[in-house]
Amino acid sequence: MKQRARIRLAVIYIAAALVLLGTVGPFLWLVSSSFQYERQLLNRPPQWLPNPIVLDSYREIFEGAVLGEASGVPYQSRIFLRSFANSFFVAGSVAVIAVLAGAYAAYPLARLQFRGRSTLLFGILASRLIPALSLAIPIVLVATQIGMSDKIVTLVFINLSFILPYVIWLLQSYFKTIPLELEDAGRIDGCSRLQVVHKIILPLSLPGLTSAGILAFLLTWGEFLFALLLSETPASYTSTVVVSLFATDVDVNFVSIITAGVLSVIPPIGFALIFQRYIISGLLSGSLKG
Amino acid sequence: MQIGRETPRKEMSQGLLALFFSAPAVLVIAATILAPFGLAVFLSLHKWNLKRPGRERFIGLENYTDWLTDSDFWEPLRTTALFAILAVALIVIVALLISLLLNEKFPGRGILRALLLVPWAIPSVVNALLWKWLLNPQYGLLNAVFFELGIITEYQNVLGSMPSVMIWLVIAYSWIHIPLATLLLLSGLQTIPGDIYESAIVDGAGVWQRFAHITLPLLRPMLSIVIIFEMIFALKVFDIIFVLTAGGPANATNVLGWTIYTETFKKLDFGAGSSIAMLLGGITLALAILFYVFLDKGVEQ
Repeated sequence: MKQRARIRLAVIYIAAALVLLGTVGPFLWLVSSSFQYERQLLNRPPQWLPNPIVLDSYREIFEGAVLGEASGVPYQSRIFLRSFANSFFVAGSVAVIAVLAGAYAAYPLARLQFRGRSTLLFGILASRLIPALSLAIPIVLVATQIGMSDKIVTLVFINLSFILPYVIWLLQSYFKTIPLELEDAGRIDGCSRLQVVHKIILPLSLPGLTSAGILAFLLTWGEFLFALLLSETPASYTSTVVVSLFATDVDVNFVSIITAGVLSVIPPIGFALIFQRYIISGLLSGSLKG
Repeated sequence: MQIGRETPRKEMSQGLLALFFSAPAVLVIAATILAPFGLAVFLSLHKWNLKRPGRERFIGLENYTDWLTDSDFWEPLRTTALFAILAVALIVIVALLISLLLNEKFPGRGILRALLLVPWAIPSVVNALLWKWLLNPQYGLLNAVFFELGIITEYQNVLGSMPSVMIWLVIAYSWIHIPLATLLLLSGLQTIPGDIYESAIVDGAGVWQRFAHITLPLLRPMLSIVIIFEMIFALKVFDIIFVLTAGGPANATNVLGWTIYTETFKKLDFGAGSSIAMLLGGITLALAILFYVFLDKGVEQ
């Protein structure tokens, strides 16, 4: 029996090692490449670990942002930091607004009895079934006509509407887990519905609100289609757009391209690992519970 | 019903209250999803090319009939179907295997589960950049690994020809989609009570029999959800195509998402672009419903 347990564990760890390699291996190679000299990247066989650790490509991005054209670094490197800030602004705003607006919308869906409740919930969810590509065409057309193209405010608004249904769904399922008695106690003490939400539901839902906010941030950070179609100048480029400008340009050094890639995944991967419990519970409850 | 709790004179009706609470969210959704959808339908029924301003006119279903009789629709549709089938199959199979592993108890399991979030968190565009680097014909890591292992005798340009471009596109795409599928399947596995397995072992059922007769049937509701979700995602693939292949080589990876993009934003034919986008949306919805009916029969919702 002991032997069998040992074999079981050996098989498990071999499988786990394979999964680990496949999960983080490609990403670690990207990080390792970003710390090498361009000429080292062209080695055969490849140099696995950077030696020495070269920070030139990272410095280029900061120099380029400060000095502009005088720095002599590629165009994409010069505009990268700005796009990074844009991404933070867009994703951060979407996360905050989506959680606030989503919480108010989710409360009646979770707690109130009214005609059309299930229709409303279904309608909110079904809106996500329409492919973004078909919506992109009229949205770009109208945004250009009314002068709202190439503005990051527009990106906030668009991303918000794609994230909201998801946040509402997640929060209404979270609100349902809060015992009704607490709410009743509050109402007996004379709280209005709005006060009940503010004083009882929201404080007790912090974990759920956190999950929703982080998911909203991550999904918005990675959004590409609208960021591409609604931007014309560096003023409104997000980091995913600049990464695509890097990746489709054959004249730029590999190491600059790779460094941009690494920088633009630091926020999402950092958040994902720090808040992994919230994210996993958010992902699961968002798609499972009714 | 919550009877007796409301005092009608002091309180708004619950319906009015609901309207008041959800108005901001509903307005945003309506403005950016419902209104554009109506406009997209409108555009799809018009000749509407930005290169010929002033010539917009209603043409009924002509855009649709044009597409349906054109190989420029059917070939991307075939490519999309091939891509989606391969991607969904790869994602579901790998995710199932990993979730079975993570359902076992072993030290380090929590860390492995957390690290799954690394690929999940990578934006699709950065993922495309990553794989472009891994698959580089001269310096790519995968070329180096296969070369050093003696599997290939010279470096390959896998993105330069069929079928390798499709295979690697599917792998690259799946890499960031496997984690979520894995977590969903894992949560499905964890709802299966352990004593079913114990009694099966007492009855002499082997590993495979337990998997085929207990795990798979009980996991079916969650498997259906994962398959439907992943299919919807795969059918609208665009980001990775934009960076990795741009529909090439020689249209080999020209999926419908890419056709919609080039038709609308390169050729500036908004009418034709909208109508093919509607066709893709319709196909996706029809397949989702079909899959739901066939796969999901046992699930109450």
